[in-house]
Amino acid sequence: MLLAFRCALVSERVAATAIEANEFPKLSQEFGVYAVPRIVVDGEPRWDGAVPEAEFLRRMLAA
Amino acid sequence: MPLLQPEEQAKVRDWFAELERPIELLVGLGPEETPRAGSGDVDFGAEMIRVCEGLAELGDRVTYRVEEEPKGFPRFPAVSIRPDGRDVGVRYDGLPWGYELGSLVGGIVEAGREESTLRPDSLAALGEIDRDVALDVFVTPT
Repeated sequence: MLLAFRCALVSERVAATAIEANEFPKLSQEFGVYAVPRIVVDGEPRWDGAVPEAEFLRRMLAA
Repeated sequence: MPLLQPEEQAKVRDWFAELERPIELLVGLGPEETPRAGSGDVDFGAEMIRVCEGLAELGDRVTYRVEEEPKGFPRFPAVSIRPDGRDVGVRYDGLPWGYELGSLVGGIVEAGREESTLRPDSLAALGEIDRDVALDVFVTPT
């Protein structure tokens, strides 16, 4: 989660939101959240799980 | 129940003492979705205020305020982490309890830095973004 926050703090182009899956079950269902963290980029589920910083940036920017 | 154990409070106090700029926590309250079964009778909005109030007590540079349905908040309760009171697109939707309280604390610590801890190549890549990117990270208490 902190990587996403760090990206948003650096770039005005990036917004990062943590979403408590249990508190928003409809939204979680919509995005098929079965494992966390589930990362959604621009409204599209992209990957599950923590990844190293370089890989996080690569996946985020490739989306 | 206290928000943090005494030894955790001491750690957070130390981290907050190092903040290089003031951080405002804007708590947004509004209509809440019915959470999954098992959440009990938790008043999520009231708990969110309690969490932010508790964190603000641990550092002079951390403040909080509460608004009903503030602009840009799609879900409630939520908290926007604002360095120098500015909306920089960092938000936590839902009550960060248990392990996830650490994510909120970590977000405050990160937002309080004048310089990012990201690697130089990451900073370079972020500097070249020419479109808006929305990152949503689903988390859950453990």
